[in-house]
Order: sequence, then C-alpha cells, then structure tokens
Amino acid sequence: MKALILVGGFGTRLRPLTLSLPKPLVDFANKPMILHQIEALKAVGVDEVVLTVNYQAEVMLNFLKDVEAKLEIKITCSRETEPMGTAGPLALARDKLVDGSGEPFFVLNSDVISEYPFKEMIEFHKAHGGEASIMVTKVDEPSKYGVVVMEETTGKVEKFVEKPKLYVGNKINAGIYLLNPSVVDKIELRPTSIEKETFPKIAAAQGLYAMVLPGFWMDIGQPRDYITGLRLYLDSLRKKCPAKLTTGPDIVGNVLVDETAKIGEGCLIGPDVAIGPGCVVESGVRLSRCTVMPGARIKKHACVSSSIIGWHSTVGQWARIENMTILGEDVHVRDEIYSNGGVVLPHKEIKSNILMPGIVM
Amino acid sequence: MVSSMDEKVVAVIMVGGPTKGTRFRPLSLNIPKPLFPIAGQPMVHHPISACKRIPNLAQIYLVGFYEEREFALYVSAISNELKVPVRYLREDKPHGSAGGLYHFRNLIMEDDPSHIFLLNCDVCCSFPLPEMLEAHRKYGGIGTLLVIKVSPESASQFGELVADPVTNELLHYTEKPETFVSDRINCGVYVFTPDIFTAIRDVSSQTKDTGKSATLRRVSSVEALQPATRNSTDFVRLDQDILSPLAGKKQLYTYETMDFWEQIKSPGMSLRCSELYLSQFRLTSPQVLASGDGTKSAIVTGDVFIHPSAKVHPTAKIGPNVSISANARVGPGVRLISCIILDDVEIMENAVVTNAIVGWKSSIGRWSRAEGVYNSKLGVTILGDSVAVEDEVVVTSSIVLPNKTLNVSVQDEIIL
Repeated sequence: MKALILVGGFGTRLRPLTLSLPKPLVDFANKPMILHQIEALKAVGVDEVVLTVNYQAEVMLNFLKDVEAKLEIKITCSRETEPMGTAGPLALARDKLVDGSGEPFFVLNSDVISEYPFKEMIEFHKAHGGEASIMVTKVDEPSKYGVVVMEETTGKVEKFVEKPKLYVGNKINAGIYLLNPSVVDKIELRPTSIEKETFPKIAAAQGLYAMVLPGFWMDIGQPRDYITGLRLYLDSLRKKCPAKLTTGPDIVGNVLVDETAKIGEGCLIGPDVAIGPGCVVESGVRLSRCTVMPGARIKKHACVSSSIIGWHSTVGQWARIENMTILGEDVHVRDEIYSNGGVVLPHKEIKSNILMPGIVM
Repeated sequence: MVSSMDEKVVAVIMVGGPTKGTRFRPLSLNIPKPLFPIAGQPMVHHPISACKRIPNLAQIYLVGFYEEREFALYVSAISNELKVPVRYLREDKPHGSAGGLYHFRNLIMEDDPSHIFLLNCDVCCSFPLPEMLEAHRKYGGIGTLLVIKVSPESASQFGELVADPVTNELLHYTEKPETFVSDRINCGVYVFTPDIFTAIRDVSSQTKDTGKSATLRRVSSVEALQPATRNSTDFVRLDQDILSPLAGKKQLYTYETMDFWEQIKSPGMSLRCSELYLSQFRLTSPQVLASGDGTKSAIVTGDVFIHPSAKVHPTAKIGPNVSISANARVGPGVRLISCIILDDVEIMENAVVTNAIVGWKSSIGRWSRAEGVYNSKLGVTILGDSVAVEDEVVVTSSIVLPNKTLNVSVQDEIIL
C-alpha cells in the first residue's frame, strides 16, 4: 500500500527552527516530525511513502535513508519545480501512486499530528465504497478554517465552505485522506487545490465521505501550535502507552526524556516537556511546557517555560526563558538573562535581557 | 640603494567567517558577507582592485574561516580578470587578527616580499595603498597604519590613536576606550615589513613564558570568540597585543587619509558604502557608471551602476545611488532611489524602491513601494532572496527573510 506526504515548501512559519533543518526533520516529541507519520503508516502495511517536496530534497533523502533501512519501507521524493498546491503533487507523483493494483493510497499533510487511526480509516473507506475518504476534526472556531459540511450518520460530504461567516458546521479538514487511484485522473498537472477543485467534484458525484478523527489533532506548523501539540500528544501517550513517559521524583505531569539525556538533582520537570537525545539538564532546573532539542544544555537553577530550545543551544545559570521564546540552533543565553518571548536566529549569543517579545537576528 | 623594482609586495585581506558577523543578516544567510555586492562588485573586490595599484604586487591572499568552496569560484574568476594571483586561505581555528597573519607567514614570505599589506575586507575607503607604501618607506619603521579623523562622539567605537604631528610616529594606541583619547582612529589598513612576524612571535612566546594571557580588554565583536581560545598561545590580536605595546617605540607610523572611510558592518551600511564607491567610480572610472535621458534608455540621475545584462525600461527613472545587478528587470515607470537591486530581481510597473536592498530573485509588484528610513528602528528595508511583494503593497523599514510573500503592507517589522 502506498502513501503520499505533502511536504511542500520552506516552512517559514516555523523559523528560526527551519533555518537549520527542513520542517519535516524538525524534532517533535523527540522524533523528527515526519517520522511519526511514517511509523504510523508502516504499522498499517504501507510499504512505500512518496514525499512531495520543493525545497531541500537532498537533505531529507539523506536522513531518510536510515529510516528506510530501519523500518524496511521505501521512501522516495517527488520534486515540485514550482509549488503545486494541495492536489497538483498527486498528479505529479502519478507514476508512483497508480500501480494498477486498484488499492487506495493515503495522503497526509506533513504538519499534522494526531493518533493516525489509519486502520479504522481503511475499514471506513471499504464500508462506504466511495472514491475518497477524508478525516475531519471538530474545532471551536470553525470560521478560521475550511468547514466540511456532511451528513452526520453516513459521513457523506455535501460541500466545503471556506472560512464561513455564519455557522455551517464545526468539522474541518484534518489533512488526512484515503483515496482510490481514480482520483488522480481527476487532477490536472498544474497548481491545484484539493479542497477547492478536486473534492467538490467528487462530493458532487456522491463519492466523498468524511470520518471524524478520534483523539487529538494539531497543525504544528508554527511555534504556538507546536507547544500545544506537544501537550496533546503527551496526553494521548499517557492514555495509550504510559510506559514511554518518564517518571521520577523530579517529574510532574507528562514528560518525555530521551534515554541519552542527563538530568541533575533537585530539578522539577513538567508538565508537557520533551527532552531530546544528548541533552544535559543541570541541577535545580525548572522546565515546563517546553521542548529541549537534541544536544542542548540547560545550566543550573535556570527556569524555562512555554518555549523551544534549539539544537546544541545553552541556557545560562539562573536564566529565565518563557512566553514563547524560540531559540534557534546554537544559541547561547548568558547566565541570569531573562527572555520574554525572544525569537532568536541560529548562532547567536544573548548577552542582554529580552524584555518584550521580538526577533533577534 | 636597493632598487624598488626588485622589491615584491604581498597583500593579505582578512575576510572573517560565517558565525561572526550576524549583524549582516539576513543578507549573510545566503552569501558570505565578503561576496555581497557593493556598487555592483563583491565587497572584497574593492580592496582587491585597490591592491592592484601597488607596484610589484606579487600575490593577494584572502584569509578567513569560510569553507574553501565558498570562495573557490570567485578567487579563480578574479585572478583571471585582474591578472594577479589571488588565493583563499582557510584558518583552521581562531588565531586572532595578528595570529592569522603569523599562521600563514611561510606562504606569505614565499615570494620574499619586502612589504606586506594587511587589510580588513569590510573597510570601505579609497585605499591609498601606493601612497602608504611610499610614506612607510620614508618612515623606516616596521609598520604604518592608515588613520582618519572622525567626530569625537563616534571615535570610541574604534581604535583611538595619537600620532606625532611632525614625524607621524604612532605614540599611543587604545582599542574602544571608554573615555575620550583622540579623534584619530585606526582604519584597519596596514603595511608592514617582514619584521612584523618577529614582533608577533615575541608576543606569543612572552605569553608562553609568563603564562599570563594577553592584556584583558573588552574584545571587539570581530574577535568575540570562545573563552578557551583566548588563552591559547597562538592567539594574538593586532590591536591590543601589537599596536598598543609597540606605540611610542619608533616602530610604528601613521598615514592619514582625507578621503571617506566607513566599516561595512550592517546591511544599511552596505547601501551607504555603495554610494561612496559609486561616487568614487565617477572620478576614477566614469565609464563604469550608467547614463541615460529617457529616450533610448532610462533616465539616470546621479551615480548609478547597471549590469550590462540587466534590462531597464526607458520610462523608468534610476538614481541617485542605485546598483542594479545581473539579469534584473526594471519595468515601465519604475522609480529607484538609493537602493541595491540584486541578481534576477523583477520590478514591475510603476513600483518605487528607495533606501532598500532587494534580494536575489525577488519580485516587486505593480505600484508597490519598498522604503527604508535610515534612523528608524530597523533602518533600510531589506528583502531576502526570493521575496515576493504583491501589487500595491508598501514595505517600510522592515526586514523580510527569504522565500516570503507579502500581501499586506508592513512597517517596522521583521518577517521571519
């Protein structure tokens, strides 16, 4: 079975992190974002994953070689020479997706994290017999998104309404699809939107069905949602596989610590913290609602909350980092410094306080 | 008397490295700062072509921390073009501004030069190198510094020095003092005799013997390095470790320039320095500058450089102080004032760009406006590479990182 992951472009919303690595390779919960998806696909029997990219394909393929070997799954890139929108990439990758077997293939948006209930989706797709299935998720503020209007019982999709001014429903496109190969025939090889052009066509022919995504959903393409997403992910991990979470006298709430990370004494870690491979957290450190990327060091007595600490960065002794501070790769915050929402580009030294949220270039 | 015909000269240009100079972002995200175009030529081109005027120049070395491959193409092209050997030497680890020179002394002395010029790549000035060499020969010391008079308020950002008004000997030198010492400052351009290597060696062996590290000073941003290397014995800084101690000992002299001098530390300064070099072209090589009156080619006012492959519509008005790089396209009715337009940029009808730097492959939409304000928080507007400014959008005093599309107007913002 095959899958397509729409990786697309430059990941500018996740800068400064994406100044160091392409977005799919940025760690989330101690694992490159795209690896969460690839592992879930492998678990339901997908044997080939096609990534559609228009930026830094070589960097990704290099990294993914190891994944290919370890997971025994084939990974290829389909290169866009110009941005192809949300449907165009499928037409571009036609040769890889349509293999004559008639089997449906998955399409995922690379920014989306969820529990990936792919097995349930396959059953749902078989049951309704339509051409296409999409996952939808319930949100509080539907008018920020594209709303999917559907029949409650069967899930048959009537229409899509983009950013509706009046309430038409509270389910939005979750960016996870299961499509029959015949869908690719309906997509022209040009920049196309799957929601505006392809799906409405299929819905009109009564062939599109929506399944409400069980569990959490988050588009982690920007820092604020990345931090919320980690909370949701760890919450879900507590319910499904609590053994993976770290426990201990210094741990409170859901915390994920890589086995190669070191934590000192007298710390208080959590809730909703991920500490990556090779990190060092010295004694007396307080961490909450934050991600510490591989190789970073948090020095004694520091306090970090609601922030992301980039690869190989250091946070100085007694420093206080909070309120959506994002440190890029190799950023060094001096002792006793306060950062309130600083967004710091890679290879910088922070020698004075950042009192108001702002970018440090 | 040794004929000066036999005396060869070698020039060394310090170009720095990637993790220093984050002040030059976002432009330095895509290109090493020394290769950023100023007045239509890479920044390092200006000191290199100034070196060409030195009689008996044997070799030019560029010394820095960048990967060799970043300079490989440029170095072979410029060697060919100027018919003088230029070579890039990569420092394996930080040695300090004098230590770097010392580290490559064997290569530098290969041509048996009688004099060695040392220049900093990010200095913008008229580089009166032959005149400095003349003066240095007369003084008979081991080194001569280029100096300039600046306003007393700004002097503390630099190395301040005192020179004897009659003999021009360097009497006193101090780097970035907190109190006022002098309004004469060090331009970062030097000529030395090979004795300089002995002087550097003596400093580092002194450090070895006494076990004391070189004078503890506030380090300049150019030399901000990890603490570990500051104490190593082959880390020697030119200013603090050589110039200061040797001042007043009849070894070092000064040559004062009355022309312009600036340091290109930030993107805003590159625009200002572009203006200075363009006005220098007006005097030294006016054929390089563009001209036009709106009939067959665009109206050009003031000093303007337009690359031969760029296409500018005759109804556009360009200048003063504009540089347009290769393959750029400037549409009808466009007004460009005080800006640098990089390669492959497309500027559409009736747009206005003033006090801005527009990055490679960017596009400026119809009736849109990119405007910088020098004294504002962010200064000149800088668009990184592949930025698209949509029709009628105004970008004021903002910095936009590569690959962004602006469809609403912004002011005083950094767009990541």
